[in-house]
Amino acid sequence: MVVAPQQARAFHTGSDQHGRQLSAQERERMLKPYLPAPSKTKTPQQSQQSPRAHKQRVRPAIRHMIHSLIFTIIHAFFSLYIRFRQAYHAVVDQVLAILYYHHRTPELVKRDVKGLTKVPKHLSVILQKRDRLDTLINDACEIAAWSACAGVPMLSIYERTGVLKHSLPHLHRRISRTMTAYFGANNKPSISLRAPHMPSYSPPTSPDANSSLGEHPHLTILLIDASDGRQTLVDLTKTLAEMSQHGKLAPSDISSELIDAEITESVMGEPDLLILFGDKIVLEGYPPWQVRLTEIYRVQDHAGGVGYHVFLRALCKYGQAEFRVGR
Amino acid sequence: MATFHSASLQRWLFSLPPVEYALQHIRELLIGSLKCGPIPQHIAFIMDGNRRWARTHHVEAVEGHHMGLEALARVLEVCYKSGVKYVTIYAFSIENFKRSKYEVDALMDMAKTKLVQMSQHGELFDRYGAAVRILGDRSLVRGDVLEQVDKAVEMTKDNGSAVLNVCFPYTGREEIVHSIRETVEEYSSPPVEEGRKKRPFSETRIQRNIRKGHQLDCVEEERDDAAGSLLQARDDGVSDADTTSTSSTSLDDISHLAHPPSSHTSQSPSPPLHPTSNTFLHPRPKLLARSKSPHLPDPESISAATLTRNTYINCPPPELLIRTSGVNRLSDFMLWQVHEETEVKFINCLWPEFDLWKFLPVLVEWQWGRKKAGWSGEAKVA
Repeated sequence: MVVAPQQARAFHTGSDQHGRQLSAQERERMLKPYLPAPSKTKTPQQSQQSPRAHKQRVRPAIRHMIHSLIFTIIHAFFSLYIRFRQAYHAVVDQVLAILYYHHRTPELVKRDVKGLTKVPKHLSVILQKRDRLDTLINDACEIAAWSACAGVPMLSIYERTGVLKHSLPHLHRRISRTMTAYFGANNKPSISLRAPHMPSYSPPTSPDANSSLGEHPHLTILLIDASDGRQTLVDLTKTLAEMSQHGKLAPSDISSELIDAEITESVMGEPDLLILFGDKIVLEGYPPWQVRLTEIYRVQDHAGGVGYHVFLRALCKYGQAEFRVGR
Repeated sequence: MATFHSASLQRWLFSLPPVEYALQHIRELLIGSLKCGPIPQHIAFIMDGNRRWARTHHVEAVEGHHMGLEALARVLEVCYKSGVKYVTIYAFSIENFKRSKYEVDALMDMAKTKLVQMSQHGELFDRYGAAVRILGDRSLVRGDVLEQVDKAVEMTKDNGSAVLNVCFPYTGREEIVHSIRETVEEYSSPPVEEGRKKRPFSETRIQRNIRKGHQLDCVEEERDDAAGSLLQARDDGVSDADTTSTSSTSLDDISHLAHPPSSHTSQSPSPPLHPTSNTFLHPRPKLLARSKSPHLPDPESISAATLTRNTYINCPPPELLIRTSGVNRLSDFMLWQVHEETEVKFINCLWPEFDLWKFLPVLVEWQWGRKKAGWSGEAKVA
């Protein structure tokens, strides 16, 4: 809606050129040309006007044709544009993937994140199960290793269906193997893998867990799925309702702090950074309570799945650093 | 200075009558053609960047908010003309009360002025057919503003074609807490009895018949005289309980009375029918005293749908959430509604600069994505 200057001033201040306050009628007169026709009230009259009826039928039909023509044109051009954009981003992604590669060397990752002002204390990722469980586990292992290299103390991995949760020991073995590949057998960081409402899985035999604790930070990995979102809040409500029925709690006692404490205790706290490896931002049932102030990152038109350069760009965005091409 | 001149030249050009006329028609045409594709039913906006805009243009923050309101009017026009049914805007966060008192007061005054103007133009608003709903924690709003709010809501409540949800002292967490509190309150008070119709069957009689059947079974199985007397005594006990409590006591409720709270949720009707359950005879007085309202709904029946029903926002979850100013956070907005299917768009422009030309690419891209996904939404509707 473009309005003439004097009308714009009227809109801002509620007065005309001479500084006089406008009355309700004047304002209405000013607004009238910009309003849609009062369609509903006129419809009964139109049906009575039989001589002009054919006109009313033809005009909307033509208008509709023009509209659908323009719609087709817009979408034709748009899909052309978006193909080019996707191709461009794919090329950029490829170049970055070559320029920034971790080579399974923690020192390289450390150098990449060295210039950052801050590293998230709690990093969260959303992974999708595409076809095979194996690729998913592989992705999880890689992300865990990068996080350990970058010095992230807490990593939570969200996967909607919860398949990762159910292969906890297997995943632990795989992560441990990946860590060995990155850090070597002697000084790999200690990890603990757990899922809400499940016992923490620690390695059955960790020979030098105590010696490595000093030099290498501990990485906590948390696996969450869709049931840790809404369902947890529903379960909490059930418990609270039951307590209230037994007179142990008044509804007015329920506060944001209480729920926050319970949710943090049973699932997790608020992540600082959430990385999506898809091409659009859809949270897919990610725990709603925790995403409140989380920085959400995704790469536009990214279709390549989990990649180190996406991870790095997310950390750079979070650390308020320019992502420079070339080291 | 050059930008200032070009801006004023541009403004002059756009305000020429033929140009203005042409632009107006191009807009109409674009909006009309958008309607040929799928249109989101519900769009939510986080109107961020008013203050930053004011800072970059060296004007006061309040002026930025005014420009933001203008942008909102433009966007609302596009939305409603293209057939969006629900628009939700994040007008004021509870966190915003932490800003300077001067700004908060100015914002409140602005809200009040606009609401007063709105109620003066009642019939004009009816043309758009939008009903205004204010969502949020009303207890935090000043009294005079609240009065205007209620007036505006009351005036537009009959408009059915579109809804404008204004989140005014709102945060997503507060909404979830509110919903949980409402649900807990709902489940700790007995349901209203009006819905129940009188049925021609007496529950007491049915219970008696069941017991009679058991009695026969027991007698046949055990051939014990004591069992008969025990059951007789039990029968009396139950009828006593019947008369003391309200008229419609179901078997389940008795089981609730007779069992400790830990097994409260198990919904099995078999324990009370068991002939040797002696606790049944003498329900502990403490429990009986507590169960003054024995028809409390079972907490196990609480589901996500119950919580959704008790949220402020009473419409389907948004398909699209648009946040301006390039900040990639939800900032505590519509957490419960947005975390499932909603597509979130972070746009790199300040809210006062947001208009049709910025909005259109977002909508077209959404339509494009929908089309690629096989018009699934459209197929469901049709």
